[in-house]
Amino acid sequence: MTITGTLTVLWYSAQPWLWLIALMVVLFLVPQVIARLKGYHFSAKGGKGSKYFPPLIFILSIFLVPLHTDSTLAYVNTWVDWIALLGASFGLALYAWLVFHPICYLRNHKA
Amino acid sequence: MSKNPFPFETVSRRNLLKLGAATGVLGPLALGTGSVQAVNARIHVVIVGAGAGGTSMANRLSQVLNGAKITIVDTREQHYYQPGWTLVASGVWEKSKTVTSTADWLPSGVDWVKGKVAEYDPDNNRVILEDGQQLGYDQLIVATGLQLRYEWIEGMDTRLIGQGKGVGSVYAGVDEAAKTSEEIDQWIASSQGKGLFNLPPTALKCAGAPLKMTFTTLSRLEASGQREAYDVEFMTPSGRLFGVDFYNQFVKQRFEEQGVTRNDHWTLKSLDSDAKRATYSVEGGPDQVKDYDFIHVVPPMTAPDSLLNSPLVNQEGESFATWMKVDRETLQNPDYPNVWGIGDVMGMPSNKTAASVKMQAKVLEQNFVAHLQERPLPAKHNGYTSCPLITSIGKAMLVEFGWNGELLPSFSFIDPKEESWTVWVMKERMLRPAYYAMLEGQI
Ligand SMILES: Cc1cc2nc3c(=O)[nH]c(=O)nc-3n(C[C@H](O)[C@H](O)[C@H](O)COP(=O)(O)OP(=O)(O)OC[C@H]3O[C@@H](n4cnc5c(N)ncnc54)[C@H](O)[C@@H]3O)c2cc1C
Repeated sequence: MTITGTLTVLWYSAQPWLWLIALMVVLFLVPQVIARLKGYHFSAKGGKGSKYFPPLIFILSIFLVPLHTDSTLAYVNTWVDWIALLGASFGLALYAWLVFHPICYLRNHKA
Repeated sequence: MSKNPFPFETVSRRNLLKLGAATGVLGPLALGTGSVQAVNARIHVVIVGAGAGGTSMANRLSQVLNGAKITIVDTREQHYYQPGWTLVASGVWEKSKTVTSTADWLPSGVDWVKGKVAEYDPDNNRVILEDGQQLGYDQLIVATGLQLRYEWIEGMDTRLIGQGKGVGSVYAGVDEAAKTSEEIDQWIASSQGKGLFNLPPTALKCAGAPLKMTFTTLSRLEASGQREAYDVEFMTPSGRLFGVDFYNQFVKQRFEEQGVTRNDHWTLKSLDSDAKRATYSVEGGPDQVKDYDFIHVVPPMTAPDSLLNSPLVNQEGESFATWMKVDRETLQNPDYPNVWGIGDVMGMPSNKTAASVKMQAKVLEQNFVAHLQERPLPAKHNGYTSCPLITSIGKAMLVEFGWNGELLPSFSFIDPKEESWTVWVMKERMLRPAYYAMLEGQI
């Protein structure tokens, strides 16, 4: 497949989710920018939210991602399925950390 | 542009190119379709049919033929993503997900004649439309798909679908696919009864679709928690369920495990929709009658009438009679070298899938251009066809094979013999984008 072809497929795949992608980018950027203005960096101290939410989201995603695709965890079968599911769940957990860590930092500083 | 209700449906190639230009990456790359060099050709190309094959070729040729006039003939204002109909009829997708506007996929330089070809006259290089209009051509591409022969089943009429009479058919159209899902819901709500499924006695498009409909219906019956209250039977005219031995055996075994009774060498002959009774002709025996609560009808299929009455069809006694005559590797008509075929209309084993169209379009583009340059035809179609065989709502197998049933997997990491959630996600989320990229001639 040519690069154009690949980009075309990716573009059409992303189309129904552009609103969600935009929302997620905003949710990621707003706390990051505000917290960074107040001295935040990735190795700063977080809080309970950034400690407990990401693993929780990881576990929930393992069940919810297949449901979101009109399927079920019971049909996650091959090693490719598991890598895809664990990868997606890890990605969502990482995203949760990126959102909650600066929020916790801001809360710590307010207190 | 905003004829379609969902943002996804409003995307056009122009928007995509704008995005490409904006990123500074896609614009320059979007100028060609890949391997074929553009040529100057002051010719008139007529493409009959603006479905998967016709649209794909219109886009490809408009990018590689400088100075050519390209005319596409079709009456259909709407373009249907037919592979999505199985999901519509299974209650997974809304029907709007499979409908876009034909105009949105046609490149700007192409003339769209809104008519239907009634007659092919290849001796005089012209086609005649139903309204009598004549179109001359230098090169002709036939991409009319196939004709569903519901009328060959006595008592069957697609208008019965959705009347609450237990008749469904995923092939009949997008509205009928949605109504088929409603008929299945009504059957399930009745808490018992018999469902009949069949294969036709002819070649068919997406040969996996009748099996997928059976499997997704079984999923819904199982989800009702009362699977044992329903009988499910499957009728095969040939005794086979699938062309490739491995999948044939797999489906047979799975049907046994899921309590589906198979009746081999049974062909659906007639339907009494008021009495909910179907009659089957049985090879080597008397006709058999079955009562049903739901029946999924898969009709016989042939090339469209206009083609059957033309010199472009395989003759009686030749293989694939009732289908268009083409060399299965070059896609050129052997009697009229300026006539080409693509898609379901052609007489060849399997290959009535959008996945085949994707491969055929690349072959046809290369051979078409070589023919104009009086070079030997360089490209050969390998018979590639594919069908994500849904084995339950939520899992599928990626079936891909060539002329002799040899497996041709596209992804080394996906086992073609394993049911998988990833393959289901591909079917549900990725194949429609890939199909649209194919329409644009990008893949
Ligand atoms: C229920 C179902 C499930 C499917 N599932 C899959 C799948 O999972 N994977 C897959 O790869 N494929 C699948 N397919 C098959 C796929 O959709 C077809 O193989 C593909 O659309 C064929 O393209 P085509 O251009 O030959 O025909 P079509 O896309 O059907 O287009 C033919 C066009 O020709 C026009 N036409 C017909 N006669 C004339 C005439 N005389 N004059 C002018 N125009 C005319 C028609 O109006 C139509 O627009 C499925 C199909 C169905 C119905």
